[in-house]
Amino acid sequence: MKDVISMWKYTKMVVLVAVTAAVYAGTAIPFKGIQIVPGFAELRPAGAIPVVFGLLFGPAGAWGSCIGNVIADFFGTLGIGSLPGAVGNFFFGFVGYKVWGNMGWLSSKADLNIRTKRQVFEYILVAVLSSVTVAFIIAWGLELLKLLPFASIGAVIMTNNLLFSIAIGPFLLLLLYPRAVKWGLYWREIIDNEMVSRAIMPRVGALCIWVGALGGLIMGFLLSTGLYHGQLFHFAKGTTGSGVVLGVLPFLLLFFLGCLLS
Amino acid sequence: MNFYLYLDKKTPIHRLDPRTKLFLLISSFIVATIQQHPIFALIVAMPIFAHGVLSGSLRNIRRIIGLLVAIGILAALLWSIQAKGVTPLFWKFQVEPLLYGISTGIKIDSMIVAGIIFLSTTKNEEVAIGLVKLGLPYSFSFAFCTALRLAPTIMGTARMVAQAQKSRGLDLQGGGLLSRMKKYIPLLVPIFLTTLRYTNQLSMALESKGFRAMEKRTFLLEARFKARDYWITLGLLLVLALVIFIRIKGYGEIEGLLL
Repeated sequence: MKDVISMWKYTKMVVLVAVTAAVYAGTAIPFKGIQIVPGFAELRPAGAIPVVFGLLFGPAGAWGSCIGNVIADFFGTLGIGSLPGAVGNFFFGFVGYKVWGNMGWLSSKADLNIRTKRQVFEYILVAVLSSVTVAFIIAWGLELLKLLPFASIGAVIMTNNLLFSIAIGPFLLLLLYPRAVKWGLYWREIIDNEMVSRAIMPRVGALCIWVGALGGLIMGFLLSTGLYHGQLFHFAKGTTGSGVVLGVLPFLLLFFLGCLLS
Repeated sequence: MNFYLYLDKKTPIHRLDPRTKLFLLISSFIVATIQQHPIFALIVAMPIFAHGVLSGSLRNIRRIIGLLVAIGILAALLWSIQAKGVTPLFWKFQVEPLLYGISTGIKIDSMIVAGIIFLSTTKNEEVAIGLVKLGLPYSFSFAFCTALRLAPTIMGTARMVAQAQKSRGLDLQGGGLLSRMKKYIPLLVPIFLTTLRYTNQLSMALESKGFRAMEKRTFLLEARFKARDYWITLGLLLVLALVIFIRIKGYGEIEGLLL
């Protein structure tokens, strides 16, 4: 994760953070009125931006998503829930550029100029992982703060972000990648190689990120809805609070380990 | 069109140092989060709303009344379903989860109101300088402040692009929600490209003006901690200590609530 810190030495990356944040907030704010979970989740076509800008601008995309979400919250929903929101959105933009090309046979082994089916497939995988990541981190944080149950908010965030990042994201990436490269804005062309973290085990890292994020979300849902100890044809009452927080924690740690390895 | 919530007034809250305002905001979050019972949540909410009156932020608070009511109802409903209690109320609902839901609704509303007050009394520049004075790297604060300024510009560009396309005959209002959304997607391209092009111009302008050339930099807007800031910070620390003490002593808990 060296590049997450070292990028601040580059003026262009600092500006890209600001631009990503502004675009994300600027696209999210007009939809603040269409609240799905009042105060916590609204209709968000902007959900495609962290995924696409994360792939294009790397760590600047991740920081930009983090700041952009806080700025969007400035327009009516700023609260302690903005804290997990900021962390979740940072990783929303972060995981994409970390796992792209590192998912073994699932990866297209190609650049971001998505024109083949395999590239589109890899983009969809990245969009799924990013949406799962942001959902499980925010839902875990809000459960930790005892503001909203995991299952209620997790499902909404994941669906909302996944829908728009898959529907809009591929077109945006197709249009923006060639221009970003041409204008010298692709992050690997800005940051010197020695400033980029040398991945220790990129494939293992990507696997840990997948297992951590997906496992965390599934475990959170199972505990929160009561399915974990439910019986067939019987309604079970879900768990809240420390049960969910502790149940998801190992997956969260695995996810962070994956981020360090990749 | 002004997208920001800042209200240019001369209230005592407006005159505080940005760090004090940030501390007021964080304290409001902590105090609002820590209690469990709705009565305690209401007691905590009252000074936050009084703070809103004192800071002249009621105009902005009124704008989101509908949202605050919706949050209250939703929180009460969600926690009534998800949490567990011991006293039956009706059907599958119990008293303790409902009380906790009402309390959570009040807490979330209090925090949102505290956020609105902060934004109504603090300029963007003050937010940035407050972050720097609190020890955050200048580059981060700069990015934050630039994004705050850029967001309305991007929304303005979006409106301009939409109007330009409408004048060429594009019907953005017709059709269902999905078809209208489809029409908006091609409009994103010029908006994003204009913004991306701006990145190069801004980074060149910054570097030509010596961005981060000096280790230590000066600011046009200087924030200074005055006597009133010290008094308010001290008062807030005492309130925080009292609230934490009350919580540790076990007051404000909902008996029989299982989370």
